[in-house]
Amino acid sequence: MSGIPVVMLLILLIPIYEAWRDQNIWQKMLAFASISSKTSIMILVISVLRDDWMIGVVGVLILSVGNAALMLLSHVIRRLEVQ
Amino acid sequence: MISLVTDIISYCCIGLGVVFWFWGTVPLLGDRSVLFKLHSLSVSDTLGSMSIIVGLLLKIPREWPLLILALISLMIWNTVLGYVLAYCSSGGERND
Repeated sequence: MSGIPVVMLLILLIPIYEAWRDQNIWQKMLAFASISSKTSIMILVISVLRDDWMIGVVGVLILSVGNAALMLLSHVIRRLEVQ
Repeated sequence: MISLVTDIISYCCIGLGVVFWFWGTVPLLGDRSVLFKLHSLSVSDTLGSMSIIVGLLLKIPREWPLLILALISLMIWNTVLGYVLAYCSSGGERND
């Protein structure tokens, strides 16, 4: 079971590399959306591994708040583009 | 015996979720359009993450309230995020 977070971390490197490489803002936003949901699921897996549920609560909060923040950011970027 | 079967099913769910993650994330590196990448990404991220959480649920049923909350918030937020990103990245034209 402890090998699973390592595999997840390797998969997480793909959107991180994409966010670093691509200059288009929407491609970067895609990569960050993927990073945010993947990291929150990884936090849940680690909270199951350690059987520590404060980490689990943090993972669920990051899942909700992280995606909400990305939504707000994409609306702001859209407004900036329209101007 | 039951715990062995549950363990096998939970590892299969988590493995399936990781495969979904990989399958949806690899197109990110290509040169396709934002909407194409967004579609495969949001579908695979949501389904893969849900499969991983179901695998975790099988592993530790004692914490089912928190994992069900994560499942529901994942279903709602990832889907709505995909929609908002598609709407905003396509310039927000009204497609009525």
